[in-house]
Amino acid sequence: MSTAASSAAISLQAVACVADGRTLLDIDELSITEGERIAIVGHNGAGKSTLLRLLSGFMRPAHGTLEVLGHALAGPMPATELRALRQKVGQVLQGLHLVARLSALENVLIGGLGRVRGWRGWTRCYPAHETEQAAQALQAVALLDRAHTRTDRLSGGEKQKVAIARLLMQRPRLILADEPTAALDPSAAAEVCQLLVQAARQATLVSVVHNPVLLPLLAERVIGLRQGRIAFDLPLTDLDHQELANFYRQ
Amino acid sequence: MTRLWRACLAGRRAKRCSGRSAFLALTLIYFLLVAACLGSLAREGELSLGRNPLRNLLKTAVEFARPSFIDVWWGNPEFAYRSDDGTLLRVENRRAVELDYLAGLVGATWTTIRIATLGSLLGAVLALPLAALTARNLAAPRPLAWLAKATLDVARSIHTLVFGLVLVGIVGLGPTAGILAIALHSMGSYGKLFAESIETLDIASIDAVRSVGAGPVQVFFNAIWPAVLPQFVSSHLYLWEFNIRDSTILGIIGAGGLGLLITEAISLFQWGRLATVLIVVVLLVASFDAISRRIRLALL
Repeated sequence: MSTAASSAAISLQAVACVADGRTLLDIDELSITEGERIAIVGHNGAGKSTLLRLLSGFMRPAHGTLEVLGHALAGPMPATELRALRQKVGQVLQGLHLVARLSALENVLIGGLGRVRGWRGWTRCYPAHETEQAAQALQAVALLDRAHTRTDRLSGGEKQKVAIARLLMQRPRLILADEPTAALDPSAAAEVCQLLVQAARQATLVSVVHNPVLLPLLAERVIGLRQGRIAFDLPLTDLDHQELANFYRQ
Repeated sequence: MTRLWRACLAGRRAKRCSGRSAFLALTLIYFLLVAACLGSLAREGELSLGRNPLRNLLKTAVEFARPSFIDVWWGNPEFAYRSDDGTLLRVENRRAVELDYLAGLVGATWTTIRIATLGSLLGAVLALPLAALTARNLAAPRPLAWLAKATLDVARSIHTLVFGLVLVGIVGLGPTAGILAIALHSMGSYGKLFAESIETLDIASIDAVRSVGAGPVQVFFNAIWPAVLPQFVSSHLYLWEFNIRDSTILGIIGAGGLGLLITEAISLFQWGRLATVLIVVVLLVASFDAISRRIRLALL
């Protein structure tokens, strides 16, 4: 394995995803280096969410080779290895997906579940140092005063912050964010993006973005997907705004 | 384009028409069934209300209007039983007799509550794994899911009374037969309700917990359990209340409790006592309903 390949957080080769006879994703080659910040842009149905599901091991490709943080994901994988990989991959999903009836603090503690073993993880009686870390994560997103509020009683922006605090708690090496600012007002969106980048300081960040304004906050490299294929893969500095507008118009 | 649009419209119209005609056909079949039921009963002469329906109604109403427990305060302390020729057979203190009956009623109520409570709990516990297997979104292996669903359907379709009759033959007379009968029948209903609550789960939030590398048991207790618990408790309270009503009938087949007193009162034509027992049943169900409604509201 070459040095370049070993420092690759993600590498895909000739990967295709098919569902109900329809090709969702067809990528010849894609490599993302550790620590990079990537934005994926494209129309609805272009394959952005499929790519993220593929990278988190929630979906398997029909063929091709796929490696995420040193784990080969294309073939069948033992459950323990999949869980080990998921511990290292943090996700902020479209529409948040916090456990509605648990408090903000308990939702943040879920981020550390991969590290908690035995009865503590079943009974939600976490060790004191985990609770302490969760409280710190909530403080980092300025939400410590709502720690004991049920998440279904929080506002959209607050929920997204809890999701990011969960990410901080998880301490992942790769962060996948699927439209992390959808349904947020512009100021909340910018704040959430900043928090996300802070959380990703030690990690690789791959985010699906629709709003071009947020691109400079979240990415240094932009990948455009169209009908499951890579339409362009450019550094942000080379990306012309007019070009991006045309891409969405097509 | 226009042709495509027209074809699309025609398709939608055809779908709507077929939907409407199917609904009309079903309505027609339903009314034919009602007509067949009514017509056949009328032809067999089984639709009559008896010879003196109004007089009988009035008589029954008067008997029911004087529940037996009133005698505890206003009964005749020296009620004399005489034979046809006027010979005094015995003298009875109605107040003492009815007081004894009330004491027995309290015991029977407690038996009914015990049968319903333990039967409901056992039914819920038995239903839980079956519901998890039946819920479509948890995608259990097909043969297991099918078997679990079949078990729940059979349990639900056999009446508590039938289970009770069979179980009295197996475990003998007494509350155990009642508890098991309630458990087996309500297991079917619990399983269905539990499976439906599991099916309404937010799968994405479960995926979010799985995505941090949590194991299956951790996922269950951190994502599934907190989401379904309120619905489970609500279903449990609902079926518990239902089972209190149901267990009053179980006494008829020898499981004890209020049902036994109902059977006794009916066989001896003691409508006053039947009224007393029924008042207790109504109070029991109403108070349980009030309590469970409060708990349900507090849980949501």
